[in-house]
Amino acid sequence: MRYLPRLVGALVVLWGAATLAFLVLKLVPGDPVAIMLGAQTQASDAVKARIREDLGLDRPPFEQYFGYLGRILLLDFGTSYRLQRPVSDVIGAQLPSTLALTGAAIVLALLIALVIAITARGRVSRAVASVLELLVISSPGFWTGLLLLTLFSFQLHWFPVSGGQGLAALVLPAITLALPIAGLLSQLLRHGLDSANAQPFVTSVLARGLGPVQLLARHTLRHAALPATTFAAYIVGALLGGAVIVEQLFGRPGIGRVALEAITNRDLPVVMALVFLAAAVFVVINLIVDALYPLLDPRLRSAR
Amino acid sequence: MIQRTQGARRAGWLALVAAAGLALAGCSGPADGGAAGDPVEGGTITVAIDSDVASQFDVHVSAADISALVLRNVFDSLVVQDADGSFQPWLAASWEISPDGLEYTFHLREGVTFQDGEPFDAEAVKLNLDRAANPDTKSQYAAALLGGDAYAGTEVVDDRTVVVSLNRPYAPLLQGLSTTYLGFFSPAVLESSADQLAAGGPGITVGTGPWILDRYVEGQEIAFTKNPDYDWAPANALHTGPVHPDELVYRILPEGSVRAGALTSGEIDVASNVSPSDVPTLQADPAITISSVNAPGLPWSIFLNHSTGLFQEQPIRKAFQLGIDIGSAVDAVYDGLYERAWSVLSPTTPNAYDASVEGTWEYDPDEAGRLLDEAGWTELDSEGYRTKDGQRLSVHWVATQTREDRASLVDAFQADLKKIGFELVVDRLDVGGYLDQLFGGTYDIVDWSFVRSDGDILRLHLYSEFAPIQNASFVDDPQVDDWVVAASESTDDAERAELYAQVQQWAVEDAAIVPVYIPGNITASGSAIGGLRADITGWPLLYDAWTTKGQ
Repeated sequence: MRYLPRLVGALVVLWGAATLAFLVLKLVPGDPVAIMLGAQTQASDAVKARIREDLGLDRPPFEQYFGYLGRILLLDFGTSYRLQRPVSDVIGAQLPSTLALTGAAIVLALLIALVIAITARGRVSRAVASVLELLVISSPGFWTGLLLLTLFSFQLHWFPVSGGQGLAALVLPAITLALPIAGLLSQLLRHGLDSANAQPFVTSVLARGLGPVQLLARHTLRHAALPATTFAAYIVGALLGGAVIVEQLFGRPGIGRVALEAITNRDLPVVMALVFLAAAVFVVINLIVDALYPLLDPRLRSAR
Repeated sequence: MIQRTQGARRAGWLALVAAAGLALAGCSGPADGGAAGDPVEGGTITVAIDSDVASQFDVHVSAADISALVLRNVFDSLVVQDADGSFQPWLAASWEISPDGLEYTFHLREGVTFQDGEPFDAEAVKLNLDRAANPDTKSQYAAALLGGDAYAGTEVVDDRTVVVSLNRPYAPLLQGLSTTYLGFFSPAVLESSADQLAAGGPGITVGTGPWILDRYVEGQEIAFTKNPDYDWAPANALHTGPVHPDELVYRILPEGSVRAGALTSGEIDVASNVSPSDVPTLQADPAITISSVNAPGLPWSIFLNHSTGLFQEQPIRKAFQLGIDIGSAVDAVYDGLYERAWSVLSPTTPNAYDASVEGTWEYDPDEAGRLLDEAGWTELDSEGYRTKDGQRLSVHWVATQTREDRASLVDAFQADLKKIGFELVVDRLDVGGYLDQLFGGTYDIVDWSFVRSDGDILRLHLYSEFAPIQNASFVDDPQVDDWVVAASESTDDAERAELYAQVQQWAVEDAAIVPVYIPGNITASGSAIGGLRADITGWPLLYDAWTTKGQ
């Protein structure tokens, strides 16, 4: 039963996220119907009234709020204002594309970070690694992506810009999304390895006759992974936020683009569902991270 | 034809600094593709567009440019408007307009069928037009193009003859009927798929057009295959019969610089909606043909609000109009790509433009200063702005996120006005805040352009009952109302042109709307493409196009 408080906490987070999203969208100025139709609309007032009625926007805010909450409980996110389709369809159709992108990016980021952290042990290589990390972390994704596109797509023709061209079309977007995360992970891993190497247990491990590879694989890398794991939620945030920019730049379908469109068009049901989805992902990630700590560091097992 | 403000439009990074002195040679007139010689059959043409058609596949409902641009391939119109503004036969072989302008009789072409095999007949025309006008359709544009409440209904005379009736004369009707928004769905899909028309898709988005919708991948691409039975091209097309290529694919690439890059690398064949900042890069590539058509309608203009604040007084509006150096700013920002505007109508608006206003209101800061002195704005405050009774001469320009090139123009005007002691404050708001101010009429200045190939655009922007949308200046002048209404009801081209000329001259004097530059629709294509044309608004037409790539 020790998971019960966590479960309650998670539900509170989800409810809070949904409420906050609703409040923000209701408090910011602007009439959703006007935004949907735009400044130069030729729609008559009767048409506007009909749309408002169809969307339930003519009802009091409280009724709308509880209506949303009630339906969310049943995992029914309603119908998109703009697309006139069930929100679950809209997101469901776009989710695989974003999962492919973020999945590829995180695998790539981990590989790059591991390779750099393990190989860059000398003074010069560490200095180089450190500069590179700083560079990729601080470069805006939009800029990195355009640079990659210009070089590898527009000039060298190695990869297509985007579209349904299979794996080749995934390479550049995934690299763009992976680079800043790889930089961060690599920094965390390198510093983690450094501090693990300074620990007394390293001497005893080496005294037991284990080689450097075994030391790394069984001991120091595990220690180094702890701080990186703590950043998991941040990394997921960076992935989802980065996906908005990468999908827009490369013309990829995905929930990043859905989110951008939904926010600019005040498509409340879609925004609410995305906020709810993001909150759920964070809750799950944090639960997983909590469960991972004791596995990575045996010292934390008794601390419970 | 609505120009959507795209929040995410950025300046093309590839052209970080637009190289100076690159005049755009031969950048007017309809687009002619790069490939010379005779049309080639087969192959695929890929066109990049800047936004998705998602849930905007119902042309009778949608007001989005992109719906009309992409779905022109599926939907034909009764008539076609040629580049010179004249109307020519398409699905209607001929037509007559009754002397009172209330009845339009169309004689339909023989042998036209929808892509699903249904015959195109008088009944199909009636079904479609009545549907667009029906309030239940919740049309955002097509109903207005039919004249709104001027549309009385459509009557089937016989299989090949229909009569469109109006409650009052509405001269722009033919122009409206020539647009994609008043295209024709197969009666079978209107019946069977009524609730899916907005979502669209193969077997649902079915018209009489030369291209058949084959697949739609949301956020990614819209693909069409050749309609082999097509034999009813518009009278002004280059060829008749089916299209030349086998396939046509629209790729959705929202970033302008990515569209330009994908074109130079050959990944796409045609880039539509090219941003001005990408033009120098594209020009540097000899394999690429660039064409730009000056959009008809209302140029990009500054609306000065008559209903509140300082702009209630004509001399202050006039001082604003004369106090900004439009010519220099447009040259500096667009480098010859777009022309400065002199009138509230673009020169390419058929039978409506009045060239006599050109050069009649040059930049004149001295005269602007004199007008302000006369109006009593004679004191200066510590920052160098004029004051009167302790109030500063200051106006607010309410804008939403805009294209960077337009923001540069605003910056230039701000600097010009500062020189004559006139403060211009720019409030950049998000769309919601902007629309609140717009509908509330609480701004001094707003801006936009409106593409439409009919002078009736002036009624939309000046008729007193249309404030603040689209009469954002809150013009309320019985004389102007008379002119624009009379012009909308007259079917005599010369009479309409004369009325619109009077309105344009009045607009210069009143300074209600200050036109700035004439936007153009820039399209770029690769060397494999031939036969690419543009419609009167500058949108690329794919019917006559061919590609040598498949060879």
